[in-house]
Amino acid sequence: MLRRLGILIIALSLSLSWAPGALAQDSSDSSEYLIKAGFIFNFAKFVEWPPTTFAQPDSPIVIGILGTDPFGTIIDHIVQDKKIGGRGFVVKRLKWGAEAKDLRECKILFVGASERAHIDELVQIVKFLPILTVGETPGFAEHGGVVRFVLEDNRVRFEVNVDAARQGGLTISSRLLTLARIIQQAPADTRKPG
Amino acid sequence: MLFNRNHKTGPVTRAGRMALAAFLSALLAGNAMAQDPKTVPDVTAMSMEDLMNMKVTSVSKHTQKLADAAAAIFVITQEDIRRSGATSIPEALRLAPGLEVARIDQNKWAIGSRGFNGRFDNKLLVLIDGRSVYTPLFSGVYWNIQDVLLEDIDRIEVIRGPGATLWGANAVDGVINIITKPAASTQSAIVKAGAGTEERASGSVRYGGKMGDDTHYRIYGKYFDWGPSNYASGGTAHDAWDAIRGGFRADWTPAGSNSLTVQGDIYRSHYDETLTVPNLTGPNYSSTFPNDGEYSGGNILARWNHTTEGGSMSLQAYYDNTTTVDHMLFEDHQNIFDVDFQDGFHAGNHQQFLWGLGYRSILDHNHSSFTVSLQPNQVNLNQFSAFVQDEISLVDNRLRLTLGTKLEHNTFTGFEVEPNARLLWNLSPKQSVWTAVSRAVRTPALTEHGLRLNSAVIPPGTLSNPYPFPAVLAVFGSHQFNSEDLLAYEFGYRMQATSNLSFDIATFYNRYSNLRSAEPGTPFVEGSPAPTDLVVPFVAANKMSGGTYGLELFADWKVIPRWRLAGSYSYLQMDIHKNSDSQDPTGDIPNGSSPRHQWYLRSSVDLPKHFDQDTTLRFVDHLPGLNLPGYYSLDAHLGWRPVRNLELSIVGQNLLDNQHLEFLPDFVNTSPTVVKRSVFGSITVTF
Repeated sequence: MLRRLGILIIALSLSLSWAPGALAQDSSDSSEYLIKAGFIFNFAKFVEWPPTTFAQPDSPIVIGILGTDPFGTIIDHIVQDKKIGGRGFVVKRLKWGAEAKDLRECKILFVGASERAHIDELVQIVKFLPILTVGETPGFAEHGGVVRFVLEDNRVRFEVNVDAARQGGLTISSRLLTLARIIQQAPADTRKPG
Repeated sequence: MLFNRNHKTGPVTRAGRMALAAFLSALLAGNAMAQDPKTVPDVTAMSMEDLMNMKVTSVSKHTQKLADAAAAIFVITQEDIRRSGATSIPEALRLAPGLEVARIDQNKWAIGSRGFNGRFDNKLLVLIDGRSVYTPLFSGVYWNIQDVLLEDIDRIEVIRGPGATLWGANAVDGVINIITKPAASTQSAIVKAGAGTEERASGSVRYGGKMGDDTHYRIYGKYFDWGPSNYASGGTAHDAWDAIRGGFRADWTPAGSNSLTVQGDIYRSHYDETLTVPNLTGPNYSSTFPNDGEYSGGNILARWNHTTEGGSMSLQAYYDNTTTVDHMLFEDHQNIFDVDFQDGFHAGNHQQFLWGLGYRSILDHNHSSFTVSLQPNQVNLNQFSAFVQDEISLVDNRLRLTLGTKLEHNTFTGFEVEPNARLLWNLSPKQSVWTAVSRAVRTPALTEHGLRLNSAVIPPGTLSNPYPFPAVLAVFGSHQFNSEDLLAYEFGYRMQATSNLSFDIATFYNRYSNLRSAEPGTPFVEGSPAPTDLVVPFVAANKMSGGTYGLELFADWKVIPRWRLAGSYSYLQMDIHKNSDSQDPTGDIPNGSSPRHQWYLRSSVDLPKHFDQDTTLRFVDHLPGLNLPGYYSLDAHLGWRPVRNLELSIVGQNLLDNQHLEFLPDFVNTSPTVVKRSVFGSITVTF
């Protein structure tokens, strides 16, 4: 009986993974990204962009997702019809190699884990632009990203690189900073395997 | 209930089926929730503090970090270490698939990767924050003095297979990279105290702070004391040990492109052992007695990092002193000074270059005994190295080819070249395949050049020694001893099957040549020290070769949000033999000193009221060359965080059997002791 139970559990979990379309949905049903989407919404509340960033008082806050999208439809659902300071949200998906114009349009840029190799290059492009870069790979903040999500004890925390924010002209409310771990450019050993 | 073997009908089976139904519906609930947006909590209406308190119900940690690596890498996280109950780095290393970790006695380990395990295993490179802790004395690691405050470890990267191109000679079968957290991440003060049946007492303190906005630092101190274990035949052994250690780390990270880290440690450790040495006078021609010794030393390291438009560069320098005094046997003072520069930059859209230069100076002086002597007593070695690596992205980033080589020069063997090629293919966002071909080299140790070790004395007038004086079997190093060679072929596959289930498999085929052998030499009569004896020499040579192959499999499954299962299996087949021109009498031993199979199954559960529980069942196969049976080990850990700043923890190890031997000593004849069932508890307070 034990053996049959074991086989049943394994068969069930495998069938869940191989169901058509299940792969894409799997990433959105992870509440990890629901929570992170909630944070991104809150970042928009507590970050000030320079006044010249928006063309009109009601220009939307563009959220760009660069690389493999771990949010799926979650992020579109939560920002739908929401406004902060009279501005709505628009979510765009971008691929690396996108025109610089598309990148510059974003006010918040989420850098997916698939783009790890491009982080240094990306930071060079957007360093002085008012873009709140958000990532989750190790070293993201140390390499110049503004915010990095960290999982601690199964809870989402975040680190903020205040210098990167300052360079981009972003003003981060102290309400956000008190909850963040402040990161500065920390020395890193760039050797890695492969 | 579910696992009732009695097959009774009636209430038991019904309860079993209900439990199964509940279990399966919980499994499905995780998926069902997301498909109905109405049941999703409105995170936009929650405060930041609320969001920070929400528990994540599924995580795909591993592949985010590892998906891009074209190597057999496993990362032991801080959480893994905390929840396993490991209180030392060797114990934490048991979590890495494919590593062989065997305890010889309370203060000695044999740790290796992909074969050739032994107390003086020489094919594994170990670094702590960029500082190599591999000793050139015997080309291995003193595991008992590699210690950091475990709470300050960010992660341990275990790379099985050759890492020679990036890390240099001696990273033949693996590289272990112990990385501590930056000082800015350890700003709290912690006090930890523990006590147990084997580790009798331990305490550690760490304080973190900052000076201005740009400089963060931490200082720490720790102490522990282990009681003796038992001999396999019974009776209390003489292998207790203790250590005291302290250190600091400071990171200066101003706005701009420069940053600096300075860190250092000092330590002192005292240990006991039971030692057997041969002697030239009867009646037994050998004596076994309680012995002891000390390790002490310190290190200081500085690393400057500079980021530029196209990349980043770093310059690192460190000094390390390790002094070992083994009363009655050997005393060694080792000073290492190392400078290392590396630079990484992008060339065009598709290439990333990494290159570096290194210099290492080793000063060693030692004092010998009758049993162990090393010539010359004082030696100065200089090593130079350079490496270059190009990482090329092809086919819209789906294919990544890495080509690199390291060129080194050392005092013993001159120039060595270690090239490698790696290819990573991202089949899809959830699957990747990698392959690698590498050459690695293991350069001679000081002992392989100038050692004389008197292993045993055969009394006069016996069948094996008909002469009227004792015959000393002695192992000698040789100036002709050359580097050992490895050509490695590796292949691996990673799959993130669902957001809750991932697999990682790595396979390898290694061809070794010029492996160390001990060739019988011409016996000679030695007049001093008195009495006169006949020396039967066995001289180090490079007359063994062969191949090894195997695989390492790791699977990670978040069964339900609060329960994670992790499993590892490794298989190793060794076919090492002496060359046709070798007369080494011990040629077969390496094949039999590593287990063919190893596996573990680990269950991590988050319980209500801030409890977490981990259970690990491990199996290590028998070691035929040492005549040791295989063993199972069950470890269980319970952690409790009743309030935010307090953590209690209790761990039981080797719960299944009373005791077992894991390994036997080699070269130095200390008495092995068993690993016993043990319990250890600790309290950690954070300020």
